[in-house]
Amino acid sequence: MKNLPRLQKQWLPSLVMAVLIAFFLSGLALAESHESTIDKAMKRGVLRVGMSTFVPWAMKDKTGQLIGFEIDVATRLAKDMGLKPEFVPTKWSGIIPALTTGKFDVIIGGMGILPSRNLKVNFSIPYDYTGMSMVAHKTNAAGFSSLSDFNKPDVVIAARLGSTAVTATKKYLPKAQIRMFDDESQAYQELVNGRVHAVVGSAPTPAFQAIKYPDKLFLPLQANFTKEPIGFAVRKGDFDTLNYFNNWIRFVESEGWLQERKHYWFETKDWESKIQ
Amino acid sequence: MLMLGCGWLLYRANAQVSYQWNWSVLPQYLYRFDEASGKWLPGLITQGVFTTLRLSLWSTILAFVFGTGMGLLRTGRSRFGRMMGWGYVEIIRNIPVLVWIFIFYYFISDQLVRAIPVDDYLRNAPEAIQSTVSFLVAGPSQISVFLSGIVALAVYEGAYVTEIIRAGIQSVDKGQWEASSALGLSRLQQMRYVIFPQAFRTILPPLAGQFISTIKDSAIVSVISIQELTFQGMELMAATFMTFEVWITIMALYFLICLSCSLSIERLERFLKRKTA
Repeated sequence: MKNLPRLQKQWLPSLVMAVLIAFFLSGLALAESHESTIDKAMKRGVLRVGMSTFVPWAMKDKTGQLIGFEIDVATRLAKDMGLKPEFVPTKWSGIIPALTTGKFDVIIGGMGILPSRNLKVNFSIPYDYTGMSMVAHKTNAAGFSSLSDFNKPDVVIAARLGSTAVTATKKYLPKAQIRMFDDESQAYQELVNGRVHAVVGSAPTPAFQAIKYPDKLFLPLQANFTKEPIGFAVRKGDFDTLNYFNNWIRFVESEGWLQERKHYWFETKDWESKIQ
Repeated sequence: MLMLGCGWLLYRANAQVSYQWNWSVLPQYLYRFDEASGKWLPGLITQGVFTTLRLSLWSTILAFVFGTGMGLLRTGRSRFGRMMGWGYVEIIRNIPVLVWIFIFYYFISDQLVRAIPVDDYLRNAPEAIQSTVSFLVAGPSQISVFLSGIVALAVYEGAYVTEIIRAGIQSVDKGQWEASSALGLSRLQQMRYVIFPQAFRTILPPLAGQFISTIKDSAIVSVISIQELTFQGMELMAATFMTFEVWITIMALYFLICLSCSLSIERLERFLKRKTA
């Protein structure tokens, strides 16, 4: 080192650092294995499930335990695989990048199968169908009774960021303004405060909100205005895992178990005492 | 006056915003009685408080390590070291913390977690280690995201700690360096026996302030789904639609934590002053 010219002596450490960092990163990129997600989960003994709070798909009860339709589905799935389920609550807007970067094995979170989403992740066959419904403010949206009443430039609709509610609103109410929130509760709060005309969200939550605030909110539409298939989302290129999930869904569907759970969470409110 | 103003604001907000207040259900999210085990257990929000405290504590410790290292480099004699320290501080200080957390979580920590699967190590570890780590840091389901949260926050706060350390060292009179050098002390000895003990007194108050800052900044890691106070609160709001009650509770909790820290720092400062006077 002593014989090196002064300039080289100064730049040598940074050069060495840069080379080391480059080696480190390339080594990491190569270290990725090609085992299927199922194999890895079996080895680990734990199925990591990404989800986000959506009443009544998944939510925390008063003891801090997760409950909901998706939680039942994921728990049964893990049990049938002989694994322990592990839930990773994740913000909805960042849930797909979290899956693709391996923070969990599968999204079981009421995720609607959309062609645009399907370009980023693979979906199982649908295990559930949901639809968009709408709840409106009694004074702001007085007299509104059809989608065309809401499709005006001065109408403001609130929806959850990154959800299919936004896609549905853009498609069916292209003229209306959309205000997006990170959580559904913020969107509904905005509606109750009277700052927006309506909230678009997956059924049955809009109907539940209308029941909660009978003097402020009402349901302008008689039925859901979209029908969306709901599937498990897994990383691309992993067909072993996808095949297992597809056949598991077929299995529990023919058993009648899915329909029974669906009835409990979506058509009754027996579970409400667990939350408050 | 201040209280009156706040009261008036609350009254106005209440009158204008139609909201069904429902405070009575909130306490069960702080503490609840578990009938199965017959014990009082921390509720959802209290668990969030613990996570926030763990997160802030570990990231402050780590930030102190980064900051001391970089601060010494910045004031050191090697030009490479000075440039590294300068680059670190300038890069971090000129990125919004939210953006930094996302970048770190999706790009850097992803690589690290893949290279070192901490959660798998922890799951295969004996029960005793598992419960200790769960108590001190986080359980196996949360450990990898928690660690990336700690590191991301620590790197961010470390930049500010670097500047605090640098200012502390540079605040020591130049004569002290010269005198200790004349005594034949090596650079390490100078630092250890002469400069650092004096710098420490100037460093401590802003460092403690930085700790409080870390507690507040930790709210931001809720965006990468670390289950700290803000995240738990938002989950609770999503499930119960009690937006106002939960936000007010969260605010009160942050305030209480930070206020108690800030009061204890004041006492510490007074104590140090008395000791040195």
